[in-house]
Amino acid sequence: MARSHSRAAAALVAVSALALAGCSGGNSANTDVDGGDGASGTLVIDTAFSLETGDPGRNYVPTGNMVLHAVYDTLLTLEGDDTTPQPALATMEQNEDATEFTFTLDEDRVFSDGSPVTADDVVFSLERVAGMTDSKANFLMTGITVEKVDDATVVLKTEKPSLQLPAIVTNPSLSILNAEEVEANGGATDTTDAAQTFLDGASAGSGPYLLDSLDLTTQVVLVGNPEYNGPTPAAYDKIVVRNVTESATQLINLKGGDSNIAVDLNGDQVEGLGDGFTVDSVPSAETIFLLINQNPEVGPATASPKFAEAVRYALDYDKILELAGVGAEQATGVIPPMFAGALADGAGQDLDRAQAALAESGYAGETVKLQFPNDNPVGGVEFTPVAERVQDQLKAAGINVELAPAPFATEIDPYVNGTEAFSMWYWGPDYADSSSFLPFGPGEKVGLRAGWDAAASADIAALVAAARNATSVEERTEAFGAYAAAMQESGPFVPLIVPGNNIASDDTVSGLTYNPTWTLDLTALSPTQ
Amino acid sequence: MTTSTTPARRTGAGRHTLARYLVRRAGTSVILLLGVVLVTFLLTVLVPGDPVRAALGEGASSNPATVAAYEEKYGLDKSVPERFVLYLGNLLQGDLGTSITTGRAVVDDLAKAVPATGEVAFYAIILSLAVAIVLGTLAAYRRGKATDQVVRVVSLVGLSIPTFWMAILAYNFFFLELGWVRGSGRLSPTITPPPRVTGFHTIDFLLNGDSVGFFDAVSHLALPVFVLSLFTIALLTRFIRTSVLEVLDADYARAARAKGLSGPRVVFGYVLRGAALPILTMVGIAFGTLLSGTVLVEAVFAWPGLGTYAYNAAKGLDLLAVTGVGLVVGVIYLVINLVIDILYGALDPRVRLS
Repeated sequence: MARSHSRAAAALVAVSALALAGCSGGNSANTDVDGGDGASGTLVIDTAFSLETGDPGRNYVPTGNMVLHAVYDTLLTLEGDDTTPQPALATMEQNEDATEFTFTLDEDRVFSDGSPVTADDVVFSLERVAGMTDSKANFLMTGITVEKVDDATVVLKTEKPSLQLPAIVTNPSLSILNAEEVEANGGATDTTDAAQTFLDGASAGSGPYLLDSLDLTTQVVLVGNPEYNGPTPAAYDKIVVRNVTESATQLINLKGGDSNIAVDLNGDQVEGLGDGFTVDSVPSAETIFLLINQNPEVGPATASPKFAEAVRYALDYDKILELAGVGAEQATGVIPPMFAGALADGAGQDLDRAQAALAESGYAGETVKLQFPNDNPVGGVEFTPVAERVQDQLKAAGINVELAPAPFATEIDPYVNGTEAFSMWYWGPDYADSSSFLPFGPGEKVGLRAGWDAAASADIAALVAAARNATSVEERTEAFGAYAAAMQESGPFVPLIVPGNNIASDDTVSGLTYNPTWTLDLTALSPTQ
Repeated sequence: MTTSTTPARRTGAGRHTLARYLVRRAGTSVILLLGVVLVTFLLTVLVPGDPVRAALGEGASSNPATVAAYEEKYGLDKSVPERFVLYLGNLLQGDLGTSITTGRAVVDDLAKAVPATGEVAFYAIILSLAVAIVLGTLAAYRRGKATDQVVRVVSLVGLSIPTFWMAILAYNFFFLELGWVRGSGRLSPTITPPPRVTGFHTIDFLLNGDSVGFFDAVSHLALPVFVLSLFTIALLTRFIRTSVLEVLDADYARAARAKGLSGPRVVFGYVLRGAALPILTMVGIAFGTLLSGTVLVEAVFAWPGLGTYAYNAAKGLDLLAVTGVGLVVGVIYLVINLVIDILYGALDPRVRLS
């Protein structure tokens, strides 16, 4: 019996050895398993995926923006960390009322199948997003109509002044697709559109890279587009974007040479990287803030504007900022520093003013519950320690706070429905423009979550309208500045931190720059010379 | 799980008795499975929060047309009883619905995630069992001596170390410091996955005769298997030690030793066979524990398995995906229990008659 077992084992070993010696499968022996060697032409990027599709018209998540920006072009684009739209597939002119925007296409540009990019492709691509009400990106086209003038000219019209339109069309969701190819694969400009399956496995764009493979849970592989004739040709033969959810793993992969770029490191992690690595640490476009509800039925103790003032001046912002790591800054207002209208300085601690305001607010020592999501760090900033510090500082100023953390998915409903008296949340722009921060105004989306209707502050509501309806850049910047200042003076929000964005690479890569829309511009990356 | 045994009644229990036993156990499993489906579904419904808002985010959820389209597409515009009946109807046709976070069929998502976790868990349980049998038996044979003390202390440490922390530590040491293993994920970025046959990369690469892919897969598997095994090895070692100690004192084991049989023959011929049934039970429990431990290990090693899928589904309030995961885990537990009970029944006639 024992002898037969031995023979079976020997046979198994022999079969395995034969199989291994064969080496006839899909991977050759000299495959570069270290992956990230720039000389091999392969760039490996680790990021925590928020990826749902390869269809630009249905995408509205950060990793999708990063990947699709490299595969598709938009009418206008953003360069580096600048939030001023620049020409991409087209140049733009607007009318005086800022209601008509004329785009003139660069007629030399071609799609990945070699066919030219025309006005018909622009009209189809934008109308497709406008018609797909079941797409997350659909809201971007609200109030915008598209008209073809000639083969190289398209006009986008809005009913009201819309100086944010140039920023909106930089969003990768509004990428220009090869209409003929997409229509041949189920594409349509209404809810019957069925091109997502095709676009999840193929490219129909004019960007420098092509989608080689897309696995929503593991990795996306891009390869160079041989037909590309734009200004930023592919610098790598292949870019692999991998889903690595743990930032600690991203750090080890980067240090160990398994990847070239780590996108989601926190401040502490990049500080310990040392020589041989490049780090881009900048403030992000997000803001972490306190919400103080003005509805007495929701927050009897918080409803007085004086209570918000007391909280605003009771806090030591430098000590709160200590929790955020490198790249982070104190929030100077509801508009983050990179956008027009942002304030130069934030609120400072003034305990006397806080005491006086608290006395006027009618607060009588009640315990106020501070609600926040505890499983959703923003830019590496964990909410729980920030909440604990806020609790300590407010206690010193005479305000009793009880912490009430909950998972994001649980906490989001009361926040959105305006039933939280005192909470800590975050806000990021829908597109790279100051108008993305007008929802904090009275009667606006986030304002209403704080029980703050338009009648509660007609002055600030008027500033919101002025900023929204401005028809020149100068007028607009001034209006946003006035809005931000007024919000900081008497709004029911206390902006705390603009978290840092820390992207790190090994020294084989150059061109690392944070951008608020696509986080990392893959088309700007190239091997270090 | 049946663990008790009753005195043997030699009434000619044979093939028919075993068949009846199997049918009875399978029937019980189906009822339990229905219970799992009902409980999982109700739990996901009771969790506060709006799945559509969680899926759409701030911008899109302010668009009523998109919200309505999502609610209709994912059946969230229907009442809970309607949704449950619909779910059961679809389930009978093998359809677990569509994930609101990935937009794909939950069945397809699970078909990718389950083999990834299964491969780690399979090798981890094999490794755990092999190591634990050696350590547990050795400790029992050397009861009270230095070897026994060392094994007990080491197994206690293994039970106490947080898996997540151990995973980070091991990855840092074996990958970054020593370079013995490759990076995170199931394969290196430049390796092409094998044509799918079993879903286990190691086996599929072998079947494809791809040695480069095989060794790459093994190199990626090594650490997750090692980390996952530590807790299970500790758990099983302590249990096997206790079980072996009990058998060592049994008359038949003492008689075997008295006859002058060699140590290994006593161990494998008498002691381990005698302790096999309770060990089998414990292996089933350990396998379940191992599966639940994959969530954290998968996160550290960027392993695209069931744990990662479950975590993302729960975080995104993806109700059908969560229910699907609950169903798969329920089925795995039921199958483990069923297999163990069948093995019990096959090994010990007293069980199937009880």
